[in-house]
Amino acid sequence: MSHSTEIDSKHAWDGGQSPFRISYGKMMMWFFLISDALTFGGLLTSYGFIRHKYADVWPKAENVFTHFPFVEQHLPLAYVGLMTFILIMSSVTMVLAVEAGHRNDKKKVIVWMFWTIVGGATFVGSQAWEWYHFIVGTDTGALRHVWSQELHTYVEETVYGANMTVNEYGVPQFANYFFFITGFHGFHVFSGVVINFIIFLNVLKGTYEKRGHYEMVEKVGLYWHFVDLVWVFVFTFFYLL
Amino acid sequence: MSEFHDDYPSYEHMAHHSEEEGKKTRKTLWRVFWYMLAITIFELVIGSMAPAQGWSGTLGLKVLFIGLTILKAGFIVMAFMHLGHEVTFFKYVVLVPYAIFMSYTIFIVLDEGVYSGHAENRTKVDPILIKQQEDLKSGHGHHEAAGAEHGAAHAEEAHH
Repeated sequence: MSHSTEIDSKHAWDGGQSPFRISYGKMMMWFFLISDALTFGGLLTSYGFIRHKYADVWPKAENVFTHFPFVEQHLPLAYVGLMTFILIMSSVTMVLAVEAGHRNDKKKVIVWMFWTIVGGATFVGSQAWEWYHFIVGTDTGALRHVWSQELHTYVEETVYGANMTVNEYGVPQFANYFFFITGFHGFHVFSGVVINFIIFLNVLKGTYEKRGHYEMVEKVGLYWHFVDLVWVFVFTFFYLL
Repeated sequence: MSEFHDDYPSYEHMAHHSEEEGKKTRKTLWRVFWYMLAITIFELVIGSMAPAQGWSGTLGLKVLFIGLTILKAGFIVMAFMHLGHEVTFFKYVVLVPYAIFMSYTIFIVLDEGVYSGHAENRTKVDPILIKQQEDLKSGHGHHEAAGAEHGAAHAEEAHH
């Protein structure tokens, strides 16, 4: 089987041409992202439904997320604003790494991928910090009915912070969805950082320089932008609405 | 194989661009970044003004926030993920199935979600939840005097 000089069998498809003029790897990454986006879409739709159902007792995000590191006073939503900025910024550095890859500029790819990884790791750390404060709660707590195993009835008790059964700030559903969706997204960010780091090591080793192109950087870039994309929606639905 | 050749260069060729093209691309990317930053800051400002202005929970605010979010999503997908520069048909392959599935999901939630939305059905779903909702509605909110001393003890615990 002979191939044309411009298409080599590794990158074109077996028919001798690339459907949609896109490489196999990139197209499969897109299809994976569609399926992943459907998962997040389903989760957020169900969140929207429950939120609407309990609209009268749903906590307001600006009363829940008021902490900022190293600052005593209450700054509602300031920290999550910063987290959003960090993630958008890391998306920009990622796309700059891809652009540098198109010029075979190894040095710039290294620099921009490094900052992407730093941004991603900072975001995961910030999320852990946010979870910690949500779980610990305020000093005063709030009175709630909770089920007593011994008495087999509801007893009133002061509860602090949020877990899967009680939530100081409002209905437990808020905490359930918050933990599940931001946790699922956080896990995506974590895997993104790990994958970016592996590709970063390959760039350092010169694997892609030898290969002649930086398509792998472009593919992990697609995944990384997707993580940013999901956060844009999570940010709106959990913190703004 | 030449009869199947679509005259489109292989990845090695299409993945490369010159220094000038790179400069142009970078300019576009930074412009998109500033747009997105401006939108996010605008959202946060509106969000922090909302309670005082009485906008919280209004339909207009929801539509505005969701609209701006979709705009930001469009920037990410089209510019950062480069979908705007793929062939037209591929754009449809990615966007149309997703749009159809998501419209259907949202439709089915609005249409079939009626059952658990009825107040009388809430008790059947989760009794403890009803109790806790009553707590919230009866004003058992924050900063209860009864919780204050527990709170101090708890705060100490948290510091250990």
